[in-house]
Amino acid sequence: MTRTIICAVAVSALAAGLALGQQDPRGTLERLERAARQSPRDAAAQAAYADFLDQHRDPRARQAYQHLFDSAAGAAKLQAARRLAVLDLLAGDRESAARRIEAYRAAGGADLTMPAASSVSGETGTVEIPGPLRSFNRMAALSPDLPAEELIGALARNIITNGYQATSGSESLEPTEYLKLVFRYMSQAREIDKLADSAKVLRVETCDSAQTGQLLKTLGFRMRGGCGSDVVLETVNATRAFLTMDSGFPLAELEEALRTNRPFSYDYQPTKIPVLYSAEYWLSAREKQSGEFIDTFMSDPSLCRLYLGMSKIDQDTADQLRRALPVARIRAFAHVFDFFGGMFRLRDGKAVIPGAPKSTAAWTEMVGASPDQGAEFFGALVAKDDGWMASYFDSLSRIQGPTLDYLTDPARMKRFYAALRGKITSPGPARPVFRANTDLMLLTTRMRLGRDGRPVIPGGIDVWKTLFTLHPNGKYDGKLTKSAGGWKEPDDVLEALFALSRKAVENEPLKMYLAVSDLERKRSKPLEAATVTRLLRDYRLYSPQYALFSEGPEVSDSTIVAYLDSAAAIRDMHDNLLKADSAGAMQALAGIWQVLVRHKLIAASEEDATLSGLVTPFGKIKSSRDVFDAGRAGVALLLKASHAPANANPQEIMMELMAGTTAPRDAETMGTLIGEMNKVFEAQKLVSLKTLFDLADHLESVSKGEKLNTALVNRLASRVSDLNLPRASLSAQEKNSFSFGFWTEKHIEAERKLNFRSVVDKSSVSPDRLRDARGLLTPLLRDTLVGFLYAHYTPPGAQLVYTNPLFVRSHDFIGIQGSHQTWRTTEVLGSGWPSSAGGRLVGSLATLPYALAEAEQNFLIPTREQALIWGDLVPQMLVSAKLTRWWNVAPEQIHYVALNMRLGESLLAESAFSPSLREKMMDLMERLADPARVRKVSGFIAAGDMARATRLVTPADFYNLGAMAAAQRISSSSSIPEAIRALVAASPDKLSSEAISEAFGTPKPTLANSMRPELLNLRLFPTLMGYSSRLMAESWESNNLYYASLADELYLRPSQLNLLVPDWTQKGLEQIFATHLEDWPALLYSIRVTGDKIRTAERKSRGIESASLN
Amino acid sequence: MKRLATCAILLPLLAQERPTFRVKVDMVVLSFTVTDSKGRYVNGLKPSDFKITEDGIHQKVATFAEGNRPPVQIMEDGSSKPITTTGPVDPEKGGISTDAFVGTNVFVLFDTSNYMYRGFVYASDAIADFVRGLDRADSVAVYTFSRNLSRGAPLSKDRNEVLTGLRKAVAGDDAALYNGLLLTLRDAAKVPGRKVVIVFSNGPDNASMVAPDDVRAVAEDEGIPIYVISTSDVSRDPISSGVFRRIASRTGGKSFFAKTWQKQVEAFESIREDLGNSYTITYYPQPNPNEGFRKISVEITSDPGKKYRVSARPGYRPRPGT
Repeated sequence: MTRTIICAVAVSALAAGLALGQQDPRGTLERLERAARQSPRDAAAQAAYADFLDQHRDPRARQAYQHLFDSAAGAAKLQAARRLAVLDLLAGDRESAARRIEAYRAAGGADLTMPAASSVSGETGTVEIPGPLRSFNRMAALSPDLPAEELIGALARNIITNGYQATSGSESLEPTEYLKLVFRYMSQAREIDKLADSAKVLRVETCDSAQTGQLLKTLGFRMRGGCGSDVVLETVNATRAFLTMDSGFPLAELEEALRTNRPFSYDYQPTKIPVLYSAEYWLSAREKQSGEFIDTFMSDPSLCRLYLGMSKIDQDTADQLRRALPVARIRAFAHVFDFFGGMFRLRDGKAVIPGAPKSTAAWTEMVGASPDQGAEFFGALVAKDDGWMASYFDSLSRIQGPTLDYLTDPARMKRFYAALRGKITSPGPARPVFRANTDLMLLTTRMRLGRDGRPVIPGGIDVWKTLFTLHPNGKYDGKLTKSAGGWKEPDDVLEALFALSRKAVENEPLKMYLAVSDLERKRSKPLEAATVTRLLRDYRLYSPQYALFSEGPEVSDSTIVAYLDSAAAIRDMHDNLLKADSAGAMQALAGIWQVLVRHKLIAASEEDATLSGLVTPFGKIKSSRDVFDAGRAGVALLLKASHAPANANPQEIMMELMAGTTAPRDAETMGTLIGEMNKVFEAQKLVSLKTLFDLADHLESVSKGEKLNTALVNRLASRVSDLNLPRASLSAQEKNSFSFGFWTEKHIEAERKLNFRSVVDKSSVSPDRLRDARGLLTPLLRDTLVGFLYAHYTPPGAQLVYTNPLFVRSHDFIGIQGSHQTWRTTEVLGSGWPSSAGGRLVGSLATLPYALAEAEQNFLIPTREQALIWGDLVPQMLVSAKLTRWWNVAPEQIHYVALNMRLGESLLAESAFSPSLREKMMDLMERLADPARVRKVSGFIAAGDMARATRLVTPADFYNLGAMAAAQRISSSSSIPEAIRALVAASPDKLSSEAISEAFGTPKPTLANSMRPELLNLRLFPTLMGYSSRLMAESWESNNLYYASLADELYLRPSQLNLLVPDWTQKGLEQIFATHLEDWPALLYSIRVTGDKIRTAERKSRGIESASLN
Repeated sequence: MKRLATCAILLPLLAQERPTFRVKVDMVVLSFTVTDSKGRYVNGLKPSDFKITEDGIHQKVATFAEGNRPPVQIMEDGSSKPITTTGPVDPEKGGISTDAFVGTNVFVLFDTSNYMYRGFVYASDAIADFVRGLDRADSVAVYTFSRNLSRGAPLSKDRNEVLTGLRKAVAGDDAALYNGLLLTLRDAAKVPGRKVVIVFSNGPDNASMVAPDDVRAVAEDEGIPIYVISTSDVSRDPISSGVFRRIASRTGGKSFFAKTWQKQVEAFESIREDLGNSYTITYYPQPNPNEGFRKISVEITSDPGKKYRVSARPGYRPRPGT
């Protein structure tokens, strides 16, 4: 009852905040703080203050609730105790939480109990590794952040992926240099271990002692110079010395001790680490006798695969499988368990299957065992058809909602499985190094159902029938061609797509379906059949451009066709310089349109006409002058569509537009953003739009008899002269070693040679020739337009754009001869010297943000010893940070996200005291995470260990848990659900799921074929063949949500995030120490550490105590 | 015009012996060595012995230092005066301790890529010896690179700290030498005073995105000499060797091709000698319409016979707006 009263007050306070437009949270805090101070006995005032702090993750919330607990009585007191227990647990203070629960119970509360701090690791044994863990981790390339229970699994993964290589001339495997070094290290560590005393401490008392010589000999070093200040350690045995250094032995400290003749000691305890079940379980009788577990383990890659597979399965399920199935049988299918076992789950002795209960009979029939048989079901599943059935099970288990219902219809499920499986099952999808069911996962995840509950087939079935039967792009599959003639239903097409999903190559129609389906997804009306036909026909040539059309849902069919027509006209050009300039200018204008549409600077009603107006003139290009005119007209059209003031300086206004807004509420941030982009523009020596357009206008005037404006011409000449760069000093041998870039060199060379004054002088006799002379400005205009996009997407930590002044000009729209890269994805080429002239981007501008991030990520500097930048993941993170602009994000939206995350986190902590709440929360969690993760989180929470639980829960999980819990009205000890409801009531449009998705989403060019930011709320993808970690990175939606929550906590304005998010992202990425390509916990840990540092610094500056890591 | 205003503000500050020597970002730091016809260092020259020109425009020297001795301020009448520090310095406000101009800030860039696998430990030993032997006034940082740069030991005068960082280096992965060199130069550029970068590498680069001459241009502009010690045989990689020679000579540094440990030690010894025998002059460029490459010339007025040889960077590109 008191809760209700308290919440009513809190809500009214919050509503008051909302009335102020949620613009002044600091002011609200001050008011509440004042009220609480003035009325120390007023429970409502105390509660409102404490709730506000709690909602903003302010560490003073505990103090405020403590005051409420001390001063209030009855239900208010109970409520405060309950909340304090939750906050204590979140802060990692289990003991204090236990005292709160006691107090809660003493005050009359009966529904909460403190969980026992029992072990949550299940059945485990321990194994020993010689020497310190830190050294072993360094040698085995394991992150020091890995929890102990995950070490052996991570080691197993490294052994599988990096430990062995095929022997030339035979099928056997031999250890790689990596593994040899680990073995050599362990041998050295065992020798050093023998030099340690009984307490396993290495001690060197004096420089001239016998131990010194022995230790140095083992380490591979010797002393140069006598004992005393001259002593220096130098290598005597390179192999040993390498291991000593590479393992991080404290050599400098030893040398210093010897030099100063002080004792040296170093703890050399062998490390005990947990192993699943016991060491004995994993070893055969013969192996048990052969020596240490760790040596045997690393010597057997199949054993490593078995361990890895079992470690990925939900622990209860794995235990039951282990008991039910002979180890030899599990080992035989370890590769299938490894890739597809993660979604296996046994509950009450039965297998949990997708689509149950209606699919139970079908699964029984397909697998040959009933889900009711529990472990036997999974035993049969993995043994079936070399992993195809398991991969099907895995893909279906990862989806939910209507698509799952549709695909698990018994008859349909069997039909699509038969198509997927085919007649020849080997090699199965678990055989390669990466799991090979990428397209199956994409198909099941991205398939669309219409309002009628049937799959949407873009353009209708006939379009696809024609594709397979008339095969305008070539034949795909004889059997499918034959069957296509009889297609009548969407399922007929889907069946063909499932059949193609088993192929890693030659499955073009499936990729076409995904691309066109995604293009159509957000459109207000479906694509016409003729348009789909054209898109399919042109897929090979222009498919990377299709993402552009999905950016604007109002883009018409005719504009899409016009774009493709113009692209085709440019493709047919024979003059490569003209082709490159035309493609560059058109793509850059379209790219700028894309940015302006994304940031709502072009209204939805003007999207289509603007894009159409931009691209149509490029279909009729005959000369450079035409390109210039089309480019200039395009700029004018973009400025008009974004309602720029007439007669404004086009350069300045375009820069403002590219910064993301024309009406900034934060001039300081806007100024900095524009400054950053101008810096890129300046470093690239690009010519301003104003100079170019003024010159063109002036030529027109001169052709009519006006005198030449020398100052204007000189301005251009001075800029062009800057292009004479240091590369001129390259030797002939160096130039000859360059492997590509011919057309780019010609483009730059043409600009360097441009002598506009001379051209004008020579043309002065003919007004027409003078007017034509503006065509000479075309290469410069192309570079300027392209440069706007480079400047807009330049990621944090960039160096190339500031160091290589020809980087933008080097964008190669032609590519290597015969490669036809003009309309393909943007690629990074030319790394490594001297085989290239420095890195450059090649291809179209379609995926420029990613390619730019991929090139610039090389300049991030890892802050952790031994860590390297995670090449497959980092570009996506950089793109997400940079592509997003925060001008249109409202403070209410930031607060809403923060509150939902807080609610999710809070309810998980609260569930430690309440098994029934835990059950509800884990049911929600199962929609977001695989069973193994859910089981671990549940176990940690049940033991009251929130620190370890939250290591496995992402910010996106917290947000989704909070949102689902709020929707289901799950009861909470906090005021957060009421605050969420108040916010939604005040701003329903801004807080709709679509609005939140748009505000905090990330681009997903491979997963959703679009750069348009959105939240998909999918389970994290694993690494997949053909994509490595890229799909996982795209399904990672936590960064923007986390930083939004942090901004809310620190009372920052959304506009400030335009600068802060890229900066925080860079810091977070430089902090990552990942062990393997699926090590997302390392990413999670790094952003939390970064957030904690930011939080600590900010609170320190405000005189508030530091919060714990959360 | 802007340039003159900066100087006008600076000089009265110095005249009043304010505690902080304020350095504007457009100050040019020029380090060079002078050798005679036999290659021996020429020491003991005075500020008045030098005539510095930029594109032929005479420059007024602001400070002068020889070797690791503290710099002196050159007054209007040509006399010199020690720069003293009498109060606190706030780096956030552009204040720099005069201590920053004493000694050299040495950035060692150590190649730990797969290419250096075999010579890794010996290279580490050679660098350790070099660090130990540096003048006490010098600060030193050890950075390592493979695919990425790693700041193994940040700039410090504490040799033990630096050696600990050096000995923690981890070997392996691709080699992005020029990326690493660029990032090292960017760090060095933020440090006031004299600085050099010493690259210790086998030579091959299979991962850099930036070309050597773009990196060289940064070193030229920032006035940071690059010394290169290559452990590779020159004949095995003539292109890398050529690049090494070029970036070293164009920035006022030197290149050494030292395959053996002994040769590497000698190379380091030579660099140490260079550091101890070089002159450092700072000046604020006189107005110059040239926004492109400005050619620097150092003339020794007391050597009319031109017997001495000056090794200095040939010029630089001014930052925009200066």
